[in-house]
Amino acid sequence: MANGGGHNLHVVDDDVYGDWETVYRDNVDRLYRLMYARVGNRPDAEDLTSEVFSTALPPMRLSASKGEVRSYLLMTAKTVLASHWRRRIGQPVTTIDPGTDIGYLTEPSEREQPSDAPRMAGKILDGLPERYRRILELRFLEACSIKEAAHTMQISVSNAKVLQHRALRMAANLALELEQ
Amino acid sequence: MSARRLSAVIDAIAAGRPPGPFRADADDAELLRTAIQLRAARPGESGPTTAFTVGLFQRLSEQLNGREARRPEPMPVRRRRTALVAVAAAAMLVAGTAAVTETVNHAATGRSAARAPQGSEVRTGTFQTSNGKVLGQIVAYRGRPSWVFMNVDVPNYSGPIKCMLQVDNGSTVAFGVFAVRNGIGQFSKTIGSVDVSDLRGAVLATPTGSAVAEATFAG
Repeated sequence: MANGGGHNLHVVDDDVYGDWETVYRDNVDRLYRLMYARVGNRPDAEDLTSEVFSTALPPMRLSASKGEVRSYLLMTAKTVLASHWRRRIGQPVTTIDPGTDIGYLTEPSEREQPSDAPRMAGKILDGLPERYRRILELRFLEACSIKEAAHTMQISVSNAKVLQHRALRMAANLALELEQ
Repeated sequence: MSARRLSAVIDAIAAGRPPGPFRADADDAELLRTAIQLRAARPGESGPTTAFTVGLFQRLSEQLNGREARRPEPMPVRRRRTALVAVAAAAMLVAGTAAVTETVNHAATGRSAARAPQGSEVRTGTFQTSNGKVLGQIVAYRGRPSWVFMNVDVPNYSGPIKCMLQVDNGSTVAFGVFAVRNGIGQFSKTIGSVDVSDLRGAVLATPTGSAVAEATFAG
């Protein structure tokens, strides 16, 4: 970006952001969606998105290209997420891969644009037996409590818990196979 | 992790609550990862709220505009997000937008400062339905330029919303139409035809004229 030397006109390079506000506005929605896909709840997604921006913005070189800025944000997000799981659980439950997840920051951001989560969830659920699929749909996609899910499936609450656990175990194995 | 503890953690994930903290082994982690994948696929919940994006913008403004004088402070976790904060943050966001525009137009060097309007120059109101349910906030700023910002959360609605400003003399001014997607919408625009101090309130309606909510400016 070149400056007009005090005159009222200056050239703006379309490939750089120029100020932190534009970096923020262009990436906050995309980065949040990525974090939400990795933690599955709003409070954590908000905290982690906040941490990425508050960590990445102060030292950011604003003359860097948009691509470099997004890569930097993604690398910061990877570190922030890894720290979160280390503190919370001691295991890297989910991760960010800068190679494959850059699409979250580069593809057009629309409010109605879904992440890859529904596609992946659909693949997992499609591979399960009917009752396993149904208990997971009720619990995770249709916002049913375990009691409500048990009532819908006409089974006891304790049976619903066992069914959910077995279904999740099978779904986890399927997910591993799908990723390989 | 015990089966009971694992079950409680899965319940938290299914309910959209942060799990833990706890110690998990690799097998448990696989289970949790799958639960998160499924929960993150729930329709309509993957995007940030307006209150969050404007609130974070405000906190970053405070952090970055003061950074030459002090080290950046870590972001507080799990901040309370109240309607009042959302209104203040909205004011800051729009002020920041105006500052960015000014920077581009006048080739100013250095960073633009997000200036919050002060005192009686800002008027705020709360959008409420006819039965008193709060749907959003509106902020009007009297300055150069004057502007109005609003954000709404209309459950189960996607489509255009028409905003009409009510003036003290009883007249109504069409202010604009904005899109609400998955219940969430925000709108900001400069205002020149009416003095902000003469505004009484605002009405939101669907394109067919059905009233959605009404706000009265508090000050």
